[in-house]
Amino acid sequence: MDIILKQFGVEPLLLIAQVVNFLVLLYILKRVLYKPILKVLDDRKAMIAQSIKNSEEIEKKLAETEEEKEAALEKAAKEAQRILEDATKSANQIIEDSQIKAATDIEEMLKKSRDQIKQDRETMQQELREDLANLVAISLQKVTGKVLTSKDQKKLVEQSVKELK
Amino acid sequence: MKQEIVLKPEVLTYIGVLPVTNTLLVSWMVTLFLIVVGFLVGRSAKLLPSSRFQSLFEIVIDTAYTTVEDLAHNKAKVFFPWVTTFFLFIITANWMGLLPGFSTIGVKEIKDGKEVLIPLFRSINSDLNMTLALALISAIVTHIFALRYLGLKDYLKKWFSLNPIFLFVGFLELVSEITKVVSLSFRLFGNIFAGEVVLATVSGISKFTAFLVPLPFYFLEIIVGFVQAAVFMMLTLVFMTLLSEKHGNEH
Repeated sequence: MDIILKQFGVEPLLLIAQVVNFLVLLYILKRVLYKPILKVLDDRKAMIAQSIKNSEEIEKKLAETEEEKEAALEKAAKEAQRILEDATKSANQIIEDSQIKAATDIEEMLKKSRDQIKQDRETMQQELREDLANLVAISLQKVTGKVLTSKDQKKLVEQSVKELK
Repeated sequence: MKQEIVLKPEVLTYIGVLPVTNTLLVSWMVTLFLIVVGFLVGRSAKLLPSSRFQSLFEIVIDTAYTTVEDLAHNKAKVFFPWVTTFFLFIITANWMGLLPGFSTIGVKEIKDGKEVLIPLFRSINSDLNMTLALALISAIVTHIFALRYLGLKDYLKKWFSLNPIFLFVGFLELVSEITKVVSLSFRLFGNIFAGEVVLATVSGISKFTAFLVPLPFYFLEIIVGFVQAAVFMMLTLVFMTLLSEKHGNEH
């Protein structure tokens, strides 16, 4: 055994040197190479898993949003239809109402002016009659002179005015 | 140029009592190279890979980790750095040993009356010191993990039993633990050393065979370098996994 080892040049010091050498290499590689690379690999794996999960979620959310959008659009369309109908109806109502109101207003105004005219005429006639009576009285006074008493005169005037009517 | 086939690594110089051989020098180079590359890759590791360099290392490390995980399950985090470092170290060393200048650049020295070339660089796994060191680390770490995961009682139960038959089996297994070290170290050493010898021999047949002729062998050596690294890694992984499992599960 000893001879064999000697033949191959095995020397304890060299052996130890190589062992130390290897252990140093192992320690350094473990710190500077294996750890970072394995960490990156793990991180990447985690990130890919997360991304897949995320994309699935996004897809789901997108579908949901699409559905919601559709529903909202439908609702909005219905609402718009309803508002339009309401507006048309109320506009028609307003037009009709104002037409009726205008008609009644005109009617009323006409009636009022007619009444006014009638009243005016009556007043005028009254005034005319009085004026006429006065005129007759004056003329009678002139004609009859002192024949008639003022009491008679008045009576006469009134009578004639009544006749005039 | 004829090259001597030498089993021993050549000593270049001494640092104190430590003989610096050409293989030790190269193993420092391999270590330094891996540290620098590992540092550069690890520092710039991003979630979104910006360089092919990072992607390449990700493939290597991910493959290694998946392999370890498939075999060792919950112990993968502990086993992974060891077996991966074995793989990276051995494959880098094997491939670096194929670079031009290895076994060819050196100084000539007179030894035993003959002029011999002392190469400055030599493929490190063609030195039994290196492979034996790796195999010893592999075996010792394997037993440490076994102790850690089984506890002392279950660990000893693997080897010793009151039942005489199992006691004998335990003894055999104990012997096989030693042969594991021998087989691991000599497999790697034999493959790489043989490769070196083949390349040197083919290049040295005549003056012209140094050109182009060794190329197929270089390709072969690239494959061998990878296969040996993978084999060492897989065997270590299997040994670690088997030994860390409870004895009772096997029966």
